[in-house]
Amino acid sequence: MTDSRRLTSGGLINRSKVLSFSFDGKPLPGFAGDTLASALVANDVRLVGRSFKYHRRRGIFSAGPEEPNALVELRSGARREPNTKATTVELFDGLEAASQNRWPSLAFDVGAVNQIASPMLVAGFYYKTFMWPAAFWEKLYEPAIRRAAGLGRLSGEDDPDTYEKAYAFCDLLVIGAGPAGLAAALTAGRAGLRVIVAESDFALGGRLNSETHEIDSTPGAIWAYRAEEELAALPNVRIMRRTSVFGVYDGEYGAIERVADHLPVPPAFTPRQRLWKIVAREAILAAGAVERSIVFGGNDRPGVMLASSMRTYVNRFAAAPGRNVAVFTTSDDGWRTAFDLRNAGISVECVVDTRTSVAPQVAALAGNAAIFLGGRVTCARGGRALRSLDVLDAMGDRKTFAVDALAVAGGWNPDIALSTHLGSSPAWSEPKAAFLAGDLPDGMSIAGASAGHFTLAEALQDGTISGADAAVRAGCHPHGMTRYRTSGECFGVKAFWHVAESRGKAFVDLQNDVTDKDVALAAQEGFRSVEHLKRYTTLGMATDQGRTSNVSGLAIMAELTGRTIAETGTTRARPPHVPVSIGAFAGLHTGKHFKPTRLTAGHRWATSQGATFVEAGQWLRAQWFSRPRETDWLQSVTREVEMVRSAVGICDVSTLGKIAVIGPDVGTFLDRIYINTFSTLAVGKVRYGIMLREDGFVMDDGTTARLMVDHWVMSTTTANGGKVMQHLEFCHQVLWPELDVQMVSVTEQWSQYAVAGPRSRELLQHLLGDAADLSNEAFPYLACGEFLLGPIPLRLFRISFSGELAYEIAVPAGYGEALAHALMDAGQDFGVIPYGTEALSVLRIEKGHVAGNELNGHTVARDLGLGRMMSTKKDYIGRVMAARPALIDPQRPTLVGLKPVDPAARLRAGAHFIACGASPSPETDEGYVTSTAFSPSLGHWIGIGLLARGPERIGERIRAYDPVRSADVEVEIVAPVFVDPKGERLRA
Amino acid sequence: MRDLPNERVFAGLRPIGGGEGVVAVERVGLTIATVLLRRGKLSELSAAVESNFNIALPVGAKWTAYNRVALLGTGPGKWLAISESNDPAFVRGLETQLQGRASVVEQSGGLGVLRLSGSALLDTLEKGVQIDLAPETFPAGSVAVTSIAHIGVTLWKVDDGPTVDIAVARSLAGSFQHWLEVSAAACGLSVRPQD
Repeated sequence: MTDSRRLTSGGLINRSKVLSFSFDGKPLPGFAGDTLASALVANDVRLVGRSFKYHRRRGIFSAGPEEPNALVELRSGARREPNTKATTVELFDGLEAASQNRWPSLAFDVGAVNQIASPMLVAGFYYKTFMWPAAFWEKLYEPAIRRAAGLGRLSGEDDPDTYEKAYAFCDLLVIGAGPAGLAAALTAGRAGLRVIVAESDFALGGRLNSETHEIDSTPGAIWAYRAEEELAALPNVRIMRRTSVFGVYDGEYGAIERVADHLPVPPAFTPRQRLWKIVAREAILAAGAVERSIVFGGNDRPGVMLASSMRTYVNRFAAAPGRNVAVFTTSDDGWRTAFDLRNAGISVECVVDTRTSVAPQVAALAGNAAIFLGGRVTCARGGRALRSLDVLDAMGDRKTFAVDALAVAGGWNPDIALSTHLGSSPAWSEPKAAFLAGDLPDGMSIAGASAGHFTLAEALQDGTISGADAAVRAGCHPHGMTRYRTSGECFGVKAFWHVAESRGKAFVDLQNDVTDKDVALAAQEGFRSVEHLKRYTTLGMATDQGRTSNVSGLAIMAELTGRTIAETGTTRARPPHVPVSIGAFAGLHTGKHFKPTRLTAGHRWATSQGATFVEAGQWLRAQWFSRPRETDWLQSVTREVEMVRSAVGICDVSTLGKIAVIGPDVGTFLDRIYINTFSTLAVGKVRYGIMLREDGFVMDDGTTARLMVDHWVMSTTTANGGKVMQHLEFCHQVLWPELDVQMVSVTEQWSQYAVAGPRSRELLQHLLGDAADLSNEAFPYLACGEFLLGPIPLRLFRISFSGELAYEIAVPAGYGEALAHALMDAGQDFGVIPYGTEALSVLRIEKGHVAGNELNGHTVARDLGLGRMMSTKKDYIGRVMAARPALIDPQRPTLVGLKPVDPAARLRAGAHFIACGASPSPETDEGYVTSTAFSPSLGHWIGIGLLARGPERIGERIRAYDPVRSADVEVEIVAPVFVDPKGERLRA
Repeated sequence: MRDLPNERVFAGLRPIGGGEGVVAVERVGLTIATVLLRRGKLSELSAAVESNFNIALPVGAKWTAYNRVALLGTGPGKWLAISESNDPAFVRGLETQLQGRASVVEQSGGLGVLRLSGSALLDTLEKGVQIDLAPETFPAGSVAVTSIAHIGVTLWKVDDGPTVDIAVARSLAGSFQHWLEVSAAACGLSVRPQD
């Protein structure tokens, strides 16, 4: 049983609500209002983790998101989450936490052997050590490094929780709800601005909850509580607690709300986290400041803690971080810690200040503790907990104190990382001994400790003014400027970074195990720029983003290189400012919801027919329809092809893009879009067209029907519907705005089915009855028309992709499913079957029609055997560029048909053409197979492909060489139309 | 030939969660058409709309309505005309009424329209809509062509209750439903038939 270090009174915890949690399997008590870290402190758990590189024992160092040491694994099973800062985890009943980066136990860790090798494991160790022999890299070095790298473990299971995204808008985003943020929000909120207050903590108030300050004679925490009540009552103010703003973008802010991280399991329909994009007219950065450490020997021992964090544990959580405490400070802040600790009944043994003098009222804060002005702590000793430390006094004498905790106060770093996200650099302020924000992003202002205004009085005033200014800029009138009376506060600081007389390892960056010697080594080896320092030593690159270490590191570099800190400069931060789960960025777009799915109106019908679906862009299309006793897809597809060739099949082609193009100038417009002429197309007729990109390559193909004099409907491929629409809009709006043409997508409006096969006319005539005359005379090949099916309008196009007598029939999509059933019913006596995209593909390959495999962005019309469609009587997009020498080179691979010399051989798309007897190489490559199919009509595999000088070489033999699938098939080059080359069937 | 039944777009929408934070009603019996301005005919079109429907042609992303016909501005020279009268001849009539001034293209089959209301409506919509729907920036009468969860939508504020109508392409209704159900579940999604 651990000793309780819980103070008997005080704190903002709810002592009536006891929570139980476990750490490394040991059950422990806590209270509502605790963090995991405060509950561990209260239970006197000193050792919480092992460091990254040297596996040194580490304790809790801070009380916030700056924590470098106390990284733990939370929960178990699929919800296990590594590398979480115990200082930011809100305690809940049943929380399981475990230390990490140790084996077999936290107390005895084999990895600690690294400490023996530590003289070798300095900065740059990897770069220097694993250079030779090169052969060792893949088999030995990399696996070894990978095993050693990282801290916690992922669960390896699917994340059982959900995440969502949300978007918010406001006049003013207040980042941080400490005194400055609350004052700003109150002022702006009262003035009527739409205000969002984002606070990482579960409680509003910031440092007010950690200090004993008073505002208007009210304890700060109670003032914060009342401010929150007032803000919550304002309808124009939204308070977002447990929400960290992690990134600044152009006028937008990224924030992560931990909706259910404080609960054992998210309630039903509740996400674990919510990713916010906040669009704010203005923002006030009131994120406070982070106390920094001092670099001295053993400054990573469990029990060494930031002084302000000790005040947090004592004042907010009523948890004593030690029994006998020493204070090492460069500022008045450390003395305030001594005072608060003494008030809580904790013994303060000594206060060591690097400054040689302090104000009498400051010195008085230490009470009876020994005071060392101009002193230093040179060495802290201990194992699982701090045992003693050495103090070097101003006279050069050393004294040793037996203490179990040391408060370190190295000054404050304003939390300005968000101000640098858009590229501005912070500037060093000598009077503040801190980096302050440089140029702020547009719309951002900065207040309170973030602005270097460290006292409570300054923060409140700053926040009030910032809030009022924002209100005025938004055209609102602030209701007076509240003046707050605050308790007195001393805030003197003198920069001090590094104890030169240190004994033992002195850490700059605790999380990445970077020491003062690593910084010196970087300086010695020429990595003197802060950017090089960072990358060479990994200083500040851990999940704490160097909040407690960056400035110390570069200050030491400044000393070593004889420059000022201002000359040395600092690095900028990048989003995210706090770690964000990848799942939050995905939101609900996981699994099959990764992207939206488009279903045709006939989807349910296709499912009922046994369809297997394939993704085509966002669409799901029926790929084939299995029948009983069919054991593989090829059987189904072969049957479907045979039935289309011998009877009739129907295929859902609703996914093809359909664009209504209307207006008196459509003919001219289409003449410029397509390579062939459309202005001559008669009403009631359809024409196949090819459109090029501006660079002369084929963009898309399809048919366009002229339904009325000025109403046309264009079809595109499924893949290019959106792109073609965009292209047409561009051409009209930018190139030819003078044309009176209107266009709109009607892909969604019409549900369309191909009805193909020698009995398709009979089927449709049966369906339509007297509504339409489908005889060859009345409705010949390439006719189109509008009819009525009962009261329902329908469109009929006599076009054929299969090469058979075929039609496409379209109805408004609401009737699409019913039409599929009606077609099947009407076709019962004619042997109708549904067919899918695979059969569609086989049919078109047998017919030599090009599709996506050939319209692949690398082909020009001539390559596809469609060169003669290119009109010479008009201009069109792509015409000039298509005439470039390389695109009219007769050597270009051009469309041919292929059949294997051995009829049993299988052809595969992607195989390359190599002359028989030639050695395969890029130099002997003559093109490739684009599409293949087993042809039920011919009884063997066939293909089409792009072969250099293809059409001239019909009758030759060549190899289709496919090293990826170990195939090498001799093929005969044939014309690319395998079935009905004269086109008699489709005109039947 | 038997009459073919017309399938509703949101027939699959189901209530989820407890409560009625969001109430969804699929609007049925709508006839919808895209109206596209012919070149240089804005004043003639405005006059034709005024005389035929007693509606001021909305300029910008606004909608106006009279006597069960609404016109929504969805882009430069582009409107959505919606008739609530369950009148299949509406589009043909519109073509005639606006002939020479606008091109008219029927879209009734391709769009589903949900009428959404409820106390948690804006809290739900903010999980998908990336524009500000607050009454001060998007008052009743406003229209937006935007997207929700990567799905293109046209939405318009019916009243500041708030009530919002959302038109979604038929093919994407399933994905949209998934978003709506997941986003509204916490406050309760109630699905009601049209009055």
